[in-house]
Amino acid sequence: LPLDGTFTPLQGDHLWRVNDHGRTIRELRRWSKLDAEAYEEYGQLMVEMARFIKPILSIVPPDPTGLDPRQFAPLAGLARSFQRLPQKQQAVFFQLMTMSAADFLAQWFETDPLKATMSASGIIGTYQGVKSPGTAYVLLHHYMGEIDGAFRAWGIPRGGTGGVSEAIGSAARAQGAEIRLEAPVARIITRGDRAVGVALESGEEIYAQHILSSVDSRLTYLGLIEPGTLEPEFEEEVRRFKFRGSSGKVNLAVDRLPDFTCLPGEGEHLRGAISYSASIEDMERAYDDAKYGHWSRRPYIDMIIPTLVDPSMAPPGKHVISCFVQYAPYHLAPKLGSWDDNREAFGDAVIDRIAEVAPNIRDIILHRQVLTPLDIERRFGLTEGNIFQGELSLEQLFFNRPVPGYARFRTPIKDLWLCGSATHPGGGIMGANGRIAAMEVLRASGRKVA
Amino acid sequence: MAVARRTWDAVVIGAGHNGLVAAAYLARAGLSVLVLERSSRIGGIAATVEVKAGARVPAVAHTVGRFKPSVVRELGLRSHGLAFVAPDVRVFAPDPDGSAITLYDDIRWTVEGLRARSGHDAANYTGFDRLVRSLGRFLAELGNSAPPDIHAPSLADALTGLKLGRTFRGLGKHDSRSILRVLPMAIADFVAESFETDALRGVLATRGIQNTAMGPWSAGTTAVFLADSAGNDGGAAGQTVYARGGPGALSAALATALKTAGGEIRTDAEVVQVTTHDGRASGVVLASGEEIAARIVVAGADPKRVLTKLIDPVTLGPGLRWRAANIRTPGTVAKINLALAGVPVFSAAGKGPEGERLLRGRIVIAPGIDYIERAFDASKYGEISPAPYLEATIPSLLDSTLVDPPAAGARRAARHVMSIHLQYAPYALRQGSWADRRGELADLALSTLEPYAPGITKLVVGRQVLSPLDLETDYGLTGGHPYHAEPSLDSFFLWRPLLGSARYRLPVDGLYLAGSGAHPGGGITGIPGQNAAREILSDWKKRRH
Repeated sequence: LPLDGTFTPLQGDHLWRVNDHGRTIRELRRWSKLDAEAYEEYGQLMVEMARFIKPILSIVPPDPTGLDPRQFAPLAGLARSFQRLPQKQQAVFFQLMTMSAADFLAQWFETDPLKATMSASGIIGTYQGVKSPGTAYVLLHHYMGEIDGAFRAWGIPRGGTGGVSEAIGSAARAQGAEIRLEAPVARIITRGDRAVGVALESGEEIYAQHILSSVDSRLTYLGLIEPGTLEPEFEEEVRRFKFRGSSGKVNLAVDRLPDFTCLPGEGEHLRGAISYSASIEDMERAYDDAKYGHWSRRPYIDMIIPTLVDPSMAPPGKHVISCFVQYAPYHLAPKLGSWDDNREAFGDAVIDRIAEVAPNIRDIILHRQVLTPLDIERRFGLTEGNIFQGELSLEQLFFNRPVPGYARFRTPIKDLWLCGSATHPGGGIMGANGRIAAMEVLRASGRKVA
Repeated sequence: MAVARRTWDAVVIGAGHNGLVAAAYLARAGLSVLVLERSSRIGGIAATVEVKAGARVPAVAHTVGRFKPSVVRELGLRSHGLAFVAPDVRVFAPDPDGSAITLYDDIRWTVEGLRARSGHDAANYTGFDRLVRSLGRFLAELGNSAPPDIHAPSLADALTGLKLGRTFRGLGKHDSRSILRVLPMAIADFVAESFETDALRGVLATRGIQNTAMGPWSAGTTAVFLADSAGNDGGAAGQTVYARGGPGALSAALATALKTAGGEIRTDAEVVQVTTHDGRASGVVLASGEEIAARIVVAGADPKRVLTKLIDPVTLGPGLRWRAANIRTPGTVAKINLALAGVPVFSAAGKGPEGERLLRGRIVIAPGIDYIERAFDASKYGEISPAPYLEATIPSLLDSTLVDPPAAGARRAARHVMSIHLQYAPYALRQGSWADRRGELADLALSTLEPYAPGITKLVVGRQVLSPLDLETDYGLTGGHPYHAEPSLDSFFLWRPLLGSARYRLPVDGLYLAGSGAHPGGGITGIPGQNAAREILSDWKKRRH
């Protein structure tokens, strides 16, 4: 889905950044001359940082306790390109890896809605707030240009991610791969210390030289492997890997378009992302609720109206609205009961938040679908509803993802590999994990790497 | 304007403990050294002050157990009057339910006490303590080395690297993997891996957030926790060691060591500018206008103050100035010092000598992770925690020198002193000013303690409050931050205080940083001062001034 910028509705005003750079700068100047200037400098810096960091995403993480120097070879190249960076960029690199999104952005910007809206991309899919150290890094994904489309379109049945999956599937088939649907795997068959095949829920057994699991590490190791096969210490490490799904989804079928008080009527502003992120404080307070096991009473919402781009998704004149919502912590406080008891109250909180700036929302809803992290777990097989197959916190990245010592796509069981978002470089970057994993499998079996 | 009479080899800005440590080492190496202190007394936050006539109390920091033993030894501080006092109770942490967690010097007692609460936690405590000590040793090694020069690594850097690599491997596969995994973790997660009792998790977690603007759920607080145990006997419980006569005795011993080596100290001498000549530090200017010439300038003061207030922006250049201005110094700590007419009775400790014995360590009010996190939440929005985390000590229980014997027949005389660290009190208040709201802090500390120690308020015969603003104005700490710069992951090792300036050399030739803003960071350790002196002397020998 093409994104036409980001519209942040506020009480009595708005902030609207579009793909047209000049227009965005003019808009920012309306808020702060300094910010408009900093925006250009910041954008350039981030592009340069993204260029430096991108190769890290295709590295097979070395085991820092390992002794094989070949593992570290890719890092040497990285160290050389780091040394060539100007000192300011070097410093910013360390900041990106360690700071909170809010603190990082505060070095350039003073406009609260701008900082809040930009910081939002640092917390998507994580159980962290914009002031949590470690969230700055995700800001960079923006400039790698791959993540946005992925999360925003996610959950919409047609177009968007679905279309991408179809394309990848066709490519695989064209190369001779077969895809079988409705073939749930019940367990991985091992013989000795080796994986030899899988057994389907139907009882059918399928044997293969390599087994690649793209489901998360907990499902793979604790769900599909015969208990007792893995060392207890290893299983302990697997259990330790944090999921903590934090996002929900609200899909709406509407009679007509929402009408924003601050910019009434239809228009271009509805065609991109609509971000409910008025201030850093709003963002952080939404997280505060979640920390104590409550869904955000005033959640952060990232809304898109895909029918404005692809009208075939709804009957003529009608629209669908897709809302990505945070926070919806998978583990609710005991006094709240289960997600099944909270689903509609959470949906109401989302509608209330939208109604603050688009009061007609209540009158236009024909149908509402609320997906909680529990629903996401049930429906998509994502443990604890984490869309990235495991929290993207600092201690769960690179050589620690998903288990320290087993970050190289290999598992303690020979010929069993992991290739999903639970591996480096984590979720949201489409295809990277699968590609590196495939290359490792090929390399390990002595085949030519494409 | 007075004419400079002489050129010192080194002037040191600030007579805080790190400034004094660096100065003493330089003087012992034969340099002529002058320490300039803006206030009228030395020691910075390691000082003893009078809270009421005849009753002395730690001004800010109240324990000194992190101070590096090799500094004590090399500077002969014991022979200059320094004596340490360590109680057998490290921590007493009462719970609202009337029970308490007690952490002892002897780990077997701690485990015994935990057994009543949770067999699981009692069984895990020893292993946790071992892990903390093991990882702490690695951090201590890291802390004793100057971060490497990443652009032109020298032979010394390579040797340091090798040594660190060897220590890293010496940790064993399990601990070496652990350290890389746990350093960036939230302390709440780290303690939860070993313990199920929320009250125990809470009291341990406090050491990960003390003096920071972070909560137990903030990433990187495990690194703060481990650094607190690095190079000392802290272990899981953390150190509880007092200097006899209060922390000021440590500073006094340092001053004596410095003077014995020929160094000088001038108080009431505020440095307002570092002068440069041909891009090289050439001395300082005092608030009085007096100029003092020196071959090198060593700052014990915080790096943000030094780089943004004392150096000409043109000398520094816009890029560095921007980076220096962004050094984060979010103060969240307030200090309340009390003179008490008697020993407060904590319900969970009981009366009498046995009860008093439990109060000789650090008394920690942080009953649970959520309690601390909620205390932190308030500070994010510029509010004082309605239910703050407290760490209190009653050093007069072990050190009779702190309170003079009351005159015969004196009513309401001070018999004990209590030192309370309160968090979170954000430097930047959303409402009102610290000048108006300072008084709230003492009331807040007492109302927080009252449920645990009924009647404590009535014992108060003298009080003194330091808000974060006071820490800035009285102690020269930018933002009121006791650690000079936030000890978060973005200000660590190679990039503390700034990438490219982590080797104790600031971006102006001949200007050095020896305070808590340098690696390995804040706390009463003397390590930045010792490391800085080593680097300065290495340059000194090469340059032949």
